Amino acid sequence: MMDTLQLLGGGFGAAFHLAAFTTIVVGLLVGVVAGALPGISFVNAMAMALPFTYVMEPTQSMLFLGGIYVGGVFGGSISAIMINVPGTPASLPATWEGYKLTQQGQVKRALAIALTASATGGLVSALVLSFLSAPFASFALSFSQPEFFAATLLGLVSVIAIAKDQPFVTMVSLFLGIAIGTVGVDPLYGQARFSFGISEMESGIRFVVVMIGLFAVGEVVDLLATNRSLRPSGTRARGLGVKFSDLWGVKWAIARGTALGCMIGVIPGAGATPGAVIAYGVEKQVSRRRDEFGTGVPEGLAAPEAAKNATTGAAMVPLLTLGIPGSAATAIMLAAMMLHGVTPGPLLFIMDPSMVYTIFAAMIIANVLMIVCGIGVAQAFSTLMRTPPAVLGAFIIVLSVVGAYGVRNNIFDVYVCLAFGVVGWAMKRIGFPTAPLVLGVILGPLAERYFLTSLANSRQDWTVFFTRPISATILGLAALFILWSLWPNISGLLRGRHARKA
Amino acid sequence: MTLVLDTEENEAPRERSRGGRRPELRRLAPVLLPVCICVLALWAPAFVFHTEPRAMGTGLGPAAWPRGILALLALMALAWALRDLWAIAVAGRGPSLTAAHEEESYAWGKAALGLGLIVAYGALLPWIGFATATVAFMSIWCLAGGLRNPLAIGGVALCGTVGLLWMFMGLALMPLSRGQGVFNDFSIALLRFLGIY
Repeated sequence: MMDTLQLLGGGFGAAFHLAAFTTIVVGLLVGVVAGALPGISFVNAMAMALPFTYVMEPTQSMLFLGGIYVGGVFGGSISAIMINVPGTPASLPATWEGYKLTQQGQVKRALAIALTASATGGLVSALVLSFLSAPFASFALSFSQPEFFAATLLGLVSVIAIAKDQPFVTMVSLFLGIAIGTVGVDPLYGQARFSFGISEMESGIRFVVVMIGLFAVGEVVDLLATNRSLRPSGTRARGLGVKFSDLWGVKWAIARGTALGCMIGVIPGAGATPGAVIAYGVEKQVSRRRDEFGTGVPEGLAAPEAAKNATTGAAMVPLLTLGIPGSAATAIMLAAMMLHGVTPGPLLFIMDPSMVYTIFAAMIIANVLMIVCGIGVAQAFSTLMRTPPAVLGAFIIVLSVVGAYGVRNNIFDVYVCLAFGVVGWAMKRIGFPTAPLVLGVILGPLAERYFLTSLANSRQDWTVFFTRPISATILGLAALFILWSLWPNISGLLRGRHARKA
Repeated sequence: MTLVLDTEENEAPRERSRGGRRPELRRLAPVLLPVCICVLALWAPAFVFHTEPRAMGTGLGPAAWPRGILALLALMALAWALRDLWAIAVAGRGPSLTAAHEEESYAWGKAALGLGLIVAYGALLPWIGFATATVAFMSIWCLAGGLRNPLAIGGVALCGTVGLLWMFMGLALMPLSRGQGVFNDFSIALLRFLGIY
C-alpha cells in the first residue's frame, strides 16, 4: 500500500510537469470534442492521433491517448443529451433520459448530472486501476471464450430491461440488429454471408455506420418536418439550472453505476457500451421511479454515465498488466506502446513502474480536468443550439456522411448509413425501438465469435458454457436479469388470471 | 427516439373510440409489420451464401449462427403478431407500436423532401465531389428549413464547406471524393486555392 502511494506520488510529480500536463489537457479536449461530434468517435480520434504520437516520448504518448480516451467516452454524451445523437455507442442511454430532460428545457441540469457522474465514475475507476490492478488482472486471466460469450450475452439480454413493456418488439429489434451484424465474412471459417455478390458487403456492416444513420438522419428530418426549435426557453432554462440537490439526489445511482462500470470494464471485450446499458437496466429495476424511465429521470442518466466512464480505468487493467486490449480504444493504446518498443504486461510494473504510475496519475488528473473541459465543450454546444435548426441539421448530416465515410474511407458505407437513415426515420415514426437494434449490431458479432470459438475449442461440447464456474455464474446472472426484467409482466398476467378466477 | 411506448391501458380508449369507424381489416393493419418481418426472417436463410459454400468439417458451419438468429427473429415476430392480433381483435386494446407524439404538426411533405435531399446528397457525392455536393446540399437544406436570407445561406454553405474541407481533408488527411471529370478538376483547383493540396 505504501509502495503504491509512493509510486503514485511519483506519477503525479511526473504528470504535473508542464509538457505532460499540457499533453493530458490537449488529449482531453480532442477527446471531448471528437466524442461530442456525431459520427466522429473517440476511437476514430485516437486512431487519427496515433501518427502524432511517433514524435512523443512513450509515456507522453500514453498520456495523450489516455486523455482522448477519458474525454471521448464522456464527450459522446454531450451530443446525446443536446441533440439526441450519441457521439459514441456508450452514450446511447444518455439519449433515453438526457435528451428528454433537454426537451423539458433542463439541458444544464442534464449536462451537470452527466458530467458529475462521468467524472466520479472515471475518478473511482482510475483509483481502482491504481490500487487493485494486480488482483483484477489475475481474475481476468481466468477468462476464456465461454466467459466472454457469457459477458456479451449479459449485455444483450439487458436490452429487455430497457423496454420491458414491449418484450416482443424489443426482441425483434434486437434480433434484427444481430442479423444485420452477421453480414460479411464469418469469424471462424472466413466465408462471406449475405454479401449478394457485392464485394463491400463481404467486409460487413460497421455498427458506427448503422448508428449514425439510425440516429442522425431521423432526428434531422424530424427537425425539418416539425420546425422544432432546439433552443431551450430562456426562463425555463434559468429556472431549472444546476442545484447541489440535483447532484446529491443521484448519488446512489452514481455509486451503483460506478461499481458496475468498474466490474464490467475489467472484463476484456466488454467495455463502455455494455457497461452503460447494463447500468441503465439495473437502475431501471432498482429505482423508485422505474415506471417513469424514458421520460427524463436523472437516475437513469447518472447511472450509465458513471458506468461508462468507470470502464475507462478498469479497461486499462488487462491492458497494462496482461497486455490484453479489452476494447478498440485500448488496442490503439497497445499499438502506441508497441510502436515505442514498450511491451505491456506484469514485467512492465517491475521494469518501468514510473511509466505505469504516471499513466495512473494521468487518468486521475484527466477525470478531474474533464469537469472543466466538459463544461467548455458543452458551452460551445449550447451556442450551437442557438443556431437555426436548418443550419444545425445541414451540418449534422454532412458530419454524419463524413463520419460514415471515414470508417473505411469508402462511399459504400455512406450508402449504408443513408439507407439506415431512411429506415431509422420510419422506425421513429411508427415507434419501433432503434436502441436494441443498434446494440444487436454492436454485440452480435462479438457474441457469435465467442460462441463459435468456445464450441470449436471444446470440440463442440455445448456444456462448456455451464461447466465453467465464471461462465455459468454470468449466464445465471443473465437468466436472473431476464426474470427480473420480465417480472412485472409475469406478475401482471398472474394477477389478471387470479382476478378473472375470483 | 421513442423508448417508452404508450401503455396498452392508455391506448385502449382511443382504439375503442376509433374502432367503430374503421373497417375491421384496417384495424388489423399494425399486424402486417411483424408478419412481414416473420416472412422475411424465414425467407432470408436462402440468401446466406452468394456462391456455393465450402465443405466444412464437424461442428457448426458459418451459416449456423445467422440461421439461428433468423429463426429466433421469426419466432419473436410471430409472437408479436399474435399478441397484437389478440390485443386488437379480442381484448380491444391498441397495438404494440404507437406513432410519435408530434404527429399532428408533422409536415410529411417536408420530411419526404428532407429524406430525398439526404439521399441525393449521398448519391451525388462520388460524382460531383464533396465540395460541390456539400455547398449545394447545405444551401438547399437551409432554404427548405426556412432560411431566406441569401447572405446567410451562402455564408453557411460556403464557410461551412471550406471549414469541413480544411478539417477533414487538410488536417485528418481523409480522401473525400473530388468527383468525376470537370468536378474533379474543380475540386483540385479549390483544394490548391485553399492550401490543402
